[in-house]
Amino acid sequence: MTVHPSAASIASTDDVICVEDLKVSFYTDLGIVRALNGVSFNIPRGKVLGVVGESGCGKSITGLSIMQLVHGAGRTEGGRILFREFADRDPVDILTFGKNSSEMRAIRGNNISMIFQEPMSSLNPCYSVGNQIEEAILLHQTDDKLEAARRAIEILTKVGMPNPDRIAKSYPHELSGGMRQRAMIAMALSCNPTLLIADEPTTALDVTTEANILDLMRGLQSEIGTSIMFITHNMGVVAQMCDEVAVMYLGRVVERATVDDIFYDPKHPYTIALLQSIPRLGRSKGRLASIEGTVPDPYSRVEGCAFHLRCPAKIDGVCDVTVPEEIVVDAAKGHTVRCHLYS
Amino acid sequence: MLNYIARRLINMVVLLVVVSFVGFFIIQLPPGSILDVQLQRFRQMSGDISREQVRALEERYGVNDPFMTKYWKWISRSVQGDFGTSFETDQSVGDRIWGRLGFSVSLSTFALLFTWLVSIPIGVYSATHRYTVPDYIITFIQFVGLAIPGFLLALVLLIIATRLFNHQVGRLFSPEFIDAPWSFARVVDMAKHVWIAVLVLAMGATAGLTRIMRANLLDVLNMQYVQTARAKGLDEVVVIWKHAVRNAIQPLVMALGTLLPALIVGETLVAQVLSLPTIGPMYLSALRSQDMYLAGTILVILSALLLIGNLIGDLLLAWVDPRVRLD
Repeated sequence: MTVHPSAASIASTDDVICVEDLKVSFYTDLGIVRALNGVSFNIPRGKVLGVVGESGCGKSITGLSIMQLVHGAGRTEGGRILFREFADRDPVDILTFGKNSSEMRAIRGNNISMIFQEPMSSLNPCYSVGNQIEEAILLHQTDDKLEAARRAIEILTKVGMPNPDRIAKSYPHELSGGMRQRAMIAMALSCNPTLLIADEPTTALDVTTEANILDLMRGLQSEIGTSIMFITHNMGVVAQMCDEVAVMYLGRVVERATVDDIFYDPKHPYTIALLQSIPRLGRSKGRLASIEGTVPDPYSRVEGCAFHLRCPAKIDGVCDVTVPEEIVVDAAKGHTVRCHLYS
Repeated sequence: MLNYIARRLINMVVLLVVVSFVGFFIIQLPPGSILDVQLQRFRQMSGDISREQVRALEERYGVNDPFMTKYWKWISRSVQGDFGTSFETDQSVGDRIWGRLGFSVSLSTFALLFTWLVSIPIGVYSATHRYTVPDYIITFIQFVGLAIPGFLLALVLLIIATRLFNHQVGRLFSPEFIDAPWSFARVVDMAKHVWIAVLVLAMGATAGLTRIMRANLLDVLNMQYVQTARAKGLDEVVVIWKHAVRNAIQPLVMALGTLLPALIVGETLVAQVLSLPTIGPMYLSALRSQDMYLAGTILVILSALLLIGNLIGDLLLAWVDPRVRLD
């Protein structure tokens, strides 16, 4: 399968992942939740892409879709997820593989791995940390148990575990939250993946531990060269971690730019509002700016631009009628925005 | 570990002494004694009995001894393996109970194995196929299984087996094998008879455990570590059986300790219906006729089984779940 570059994947870049018009819906008893309404973005090789947005905007579902781990009532209803393992290979469309197919399982944990928000519950309490890391290595890399154990200890050392031999033998309940997240990172990186999806990996941790984990991830990223999709709602973390940013609102990417452009030259009214609502040191005058209104009820469908109900720059008769197309603001830097103000 | 087991065993002995004391006290509490029953039988057979004869019998059975003397006589000999004499038949208690107890324990063990072997796979299937037609059918059968009393099912199966298959199922052996020495044919004959008892005994527990297994597994399948296991690239079968079931099975292991004595108590009615030579019916009749050494001994042995079952359950749990610490 060959790539047909869309507006999102700016020409001539080597993308590890190129998501095109991805649509995912959940069929629940209360109604249909359209979680993703055509998400498009790309992750350049060796870069860290931050995916930001409020709760329920579809960040995590996007990550899970790439892993084909959306379970239960969720259904993928359209789009493509092109994964290119090596720069000189043709990409494959992940969505053509079955969820539990051997092709998908060979990618999961091996080429694309994932770490989750809750370090307290993301390790199985019944098996030792070493055992759980070795499991992935034995599955994808080697059949030799001793070799797997050796590699598990090696990767535990790499993620900065003190006394890795002892940690490998200990059980998850014997470790702190930060240690468990390190163990999860070790597990995720154990097979040298091309892409690491980190779904709010530091949200459940205290600030000091968060800073340590972010340092570690950034360090390992430049060392190993793994591309990272970093899902977060914390703009501070974005500034620290990411090369590029995709801002999501209600199941769509509304703006996509480099991290500098997002902070210094934001285009979409939602991005601007999001940045204004970050508290800053030394600017304690008055109330913190907030975005008017709330995210619409997930079961309803909003006509036109999903943000028009809360948008300060709304154009009547346009924004509430048609969905804005993706507009390229700066082709060289890959800055795109979905807003009628720029058409 | 060994330290822990030793401590538990010492506790067990203390507890058994308390149980035997309280149990023995309660058993001899109702007015009258086994002697009244005996005397009545004598009177029916040979008319009159002289005062001397009555006194001799009283002397022999120690009926008028104070409670502590009776208890001490029984317990001090029991420790040496002599549980006293059953008044009813004049046999030693040991001779009367060992055979029946062995049969009860093996019947319960079979029922327990059946329960686990059936309820775990069905519970797993039911949970992984939630809200599908097979799940609804399994759920329906479970509720029926929980609702039907064991003795009723025993009667129904008895009728079906005799009427439709012309198959003698009551009792333990066919008439020709009752006194025969052990042989392969005798074992086969026993298996033919015993399956109904195992089925009836296991039914309620199986239905309950399937339900528990289904609910536990549904909880565990929502846990993050199951998603982690999937994210590793493991096959769904491995995810379920290695990562999810091991965590969902813990309450079942915990219930193991209480399940064994529950099965032994539960068999009383079923054994009555199927006329099986188990300990349950004997315990009942011993209590009724105030055969206190027999009843007391059975009580203590059943308590010991409960305690041993609990210990096994705790050890298994510690083996299954590393978070459980034995100390």
